[in-house]
Amino acid sequence: MDLIHPMDKLEVVQALREATAERRRVLIVGGRTHIDKGEPCEVDAELWTTQLDALVAYEPAEMIAVVEAGMRVGELDRILSEGGQEWPCDAPPRATVGGVIAAAANSPRRLRFGPIRDTVVEMEVVTGDGRLVKSGARTVKSVTGYDVHKLMTGSLGTLGVIVQVALKVRPRPQARRTVRVAGGLEVGRRLLDAVPNPAAVLATPEAVEVRLEGWPEEVERQVEAADRVEPVSVVADEDTFPSERPWEASAVVAEAAVPPSRLPELLSPPFPDLLGPHLGSWGALLGVGLAWVGLSSSHGELGALRERARTLGGTAPAIKGPGGLGPDVPSGLDVHRRLKAAFDPAGVLAPGRFWGGI
Amino acid sequence: MADVDAARRELEEALGTAEVLSDPLALTLYARDASMVEGGCALVAFPRTVEDVVTCMRVAARHGLPVVPRGSGTGLAGGATPIGDALVVVTSKMDRILEVRPEDRLAWVEPGVLNLDLANALAPLGFTYPPDPSSQQTCSIGGNVNTNAGGPHCLAYGVTSSHVLAVDVVLPDGTVERFGSEAPETPGYDLRGVVIGSEGTLGIVARACVRLTPLPPAVRTMLLDFDTVKDCAATVSAIIAGGVVPAAVEMMDHGIIVAAENFAHAGYPTDAAAVLLVEVDGLPEAVDAQSRAVEGAARDHGVRTIRVAQDDAERALLWKGRKSAFGAVAQLAPHYHLHDCVVPRSKLVDVLSGVYEIASRHDLIVTNVFHAGDGNLHPLLSFDRRIPGTLERVLSASEQIVRLCVEYGGSLTGEHGIGLEKRDFMPLMFSDVDLGAQACVRAAFDPEGRMNPQKVLPAGARCGDFAMAKGMDAAQAAQSIPEGSWI
Repeated sequence: MDLIHPMDKLEVVQALREATAERRRVLIVGGRTHIDKGEPCEVDAELWTTQLDALVAYEPAEMIAVVEAGMRVGELDRILSEGGQEWPCDAPPRATVGGVIAAAANSPRRLRFGPIRDTVVEMEVVTGDGRLVKSGARTVKSVTGYDVHKLMTGSLGTLGVIVQVALKVRPRPQARRTVRVAGGLEVGRRLLDAVPNPAAVLATPEAVEVRLEGWPEEVERQVEAADRVEPVSVVADEDTFPSERPWEASAVVAEAAVPPSRLPELLSPPFPDLLGPHLGSWGALLGVGLAWVGLSSSHGELGALRERARTLGGTAPAIKGPGGLGPDVPSGLDVHRRLKAAFDPAGVLAPGRFWGGI
Repeated sequence: MADVDAARRELEEALGTAEVLSDPLALTLYARDASMVEGGCALVAFPRTVEDVVTCMRVAARHGLPVVPRGSGTGLAGGATPIGDALVVVTSKMDRILEVRPEDRLAWVEPGVLNLDLANALAPLGFTYPPDPSSQQTCSIGGNVNTNAGGPHCLAYGVTSSHVLAVDVVLPDGTVERFGSEAPETPGYDLRGVVIGSEGTLGIVARACVRLTPLPPAVRTMLLDFDTVKDCAATVSAIIAGGVVPAAVEMMDHGIIVAAENFAHAGYPTDAAAVLLVEVDGLPEAVDAQSRAVEGAARDHGVRTIRVAQDDAERALLWKGRKSAFGAVAQLAPHYHLHDCVVPRSKLVDVLSGVYEIASRHDLIVTNVFHAGDGNLHPLLSFDRRIPGTLERVLSASEQIVRLCVEYGGSLTGEHGIGLEKRDFMPLMFSDVDLGAQACVRAAFDPEGRMNPQKVLPAGARCGDFAMAKGMDAAQAAQSIPEGSWI
């Protein structure tokens, strides 16, 4: 396995031109925290983005930060905290910004802050044949031209190398608190209905954690509202949410996505029976429709979960361990193939890693 | 060569004669949208179902007609202005809210549903649809999706793309695909995200799944007035820098204040140089805290008075002045040209003074009412086009305003779109390679190039050029790397 470790965008351009000329297959690697997401694929080289880590521009009053894609999330968070702001992705500190975007990684606070794609306003990407393409603008709003950056978000490095992004960032809340309530999905649903504007309502088999963020007086009221549903205990650590992620201990973690009201059908009994005794734990984001499910292997259990997600109108790719994305074929497969051919004409970017064999 | 007669007969047979227009009056009416550009078309069709839209696409494909989708026709950039032998597909009769599912926080709607009708239908259930263009009484969700529409409340809530979960799109070959889904993740590339804002160039959006947002428990609307535009604009940056993102921050300058007050009688201070209309929402405690921060920022920048709406009626009145401003300027002159560009928030003062200077140099009246929190300017040039030479001055001033915004690190358009009007300005922001990549995105959906031709991309942008370009060495590539120079 060859290693390509470019120093700057130009070297990325050069490397991919050569890769295309030589038909050398390349896997794009950031912090390796989301690398498991995707179908297994054979490559000849890895291209590491981690030296592309410069801060390009940051002015807190604009609420936009421009960074190279290899910057670590922890480093970005440190920079933004000096401006009293954050990029609410909640990825591990060693993850890279580009990796989080390429994997379309989900924050546990998606209920309040939306998917990661909503935060990317401008992007520079190097295509499979080494062309530097920019889209979007460094303004909070722009409808100038086609949003190529939307295509790249979640593309798992199969259309190009994200080399630079402009991100919409937001003020850090004045107060943050996590409250914990005994119970599962049903209690979670009642909390979602009763607590105004929570950042997250995350249910596990035994408990629900509600994340509250905002002005101090506001958070007080939210805690009271939650306490009226069920008695709450306040989780001490204000920085980390959720306080624990037991599903991450499992060998395989699937990220199931279903319409929000279908979470109980996805996760309630007879689900554990269906999956056998090896079901690890799970965490479900109420009002969002995402569930992280820990499994002991990628064998029958994962297939059963996927089948159930499919019947509920959803999907369940693995985001940790083996297991791949699953058998779903994207709608508009011809459109997908034409996009792949245009952005990676020689098919050198992680061939077969994406949905639909792309 | 397009066979218009054959296409008309087939459409009449499938949709009914009442749903297909080809008389000279209709063709003239549908030859333009709300922009200044005038085009022409061959046929106008009014589908009522997804199947009707499929028929329109298939008939157009069979007989070689370009297809121009049209919602309410309120677009200001010429995106729905047809050219040549086009079939205009008007979705305004597809106007049903199909399904509202609070438990999934979503609703399915047809493209012709009006923006305000949707918001009004959701309100009794405790939800809203936040994007609220000024034309919300007449503009449709289909049009909103195609322009990725904004509005005052997009500052805190985000633009249309953040509120549309899925779209059912009829592609140019007549196939129907769902991009996005009711679930939060969908297998495949985010084609939903590309279709939104594509100005009808990729297909026809025949159904949309919108996300429901809970109505805030409390809302407060404030009017702040200033002696100088500079203080007013500086207050906007100070509010944001202070860690507050209000639901809306709208700015109006003196000319608009006077015109809007004459029309709406909202009690706007007509001696002010500029006012801010600020709305904060959330829990009552959050509303109080945000209000204090806003008032503090305004006092630091010499605010004259702060008027807080005392009830819903007063709140509605304050907004009425803002939302009817574009109608109210008819008092100034019979015609207007409304711009839409975005600049970094901290450049508002400089760009505004540049806009005034450009207008004065061209002997034109300019007024400004815009989404200050987003840095989204809407300079409005008022004029009488019957006076010879006026239109030329308007176009010259317009071009200079666009160039000014881009020079300050801004964007050609924040919410109205590129359409025909700004197509040829695209190279100000994008290189040939960038535009080639965009042309490839378009060609991936519409290989034959029949959807809304000549819009968005300038004539030179070709997917083939992008795919076949070669021989550019690293030094040349370096020149195409833009400088990070906006701070």
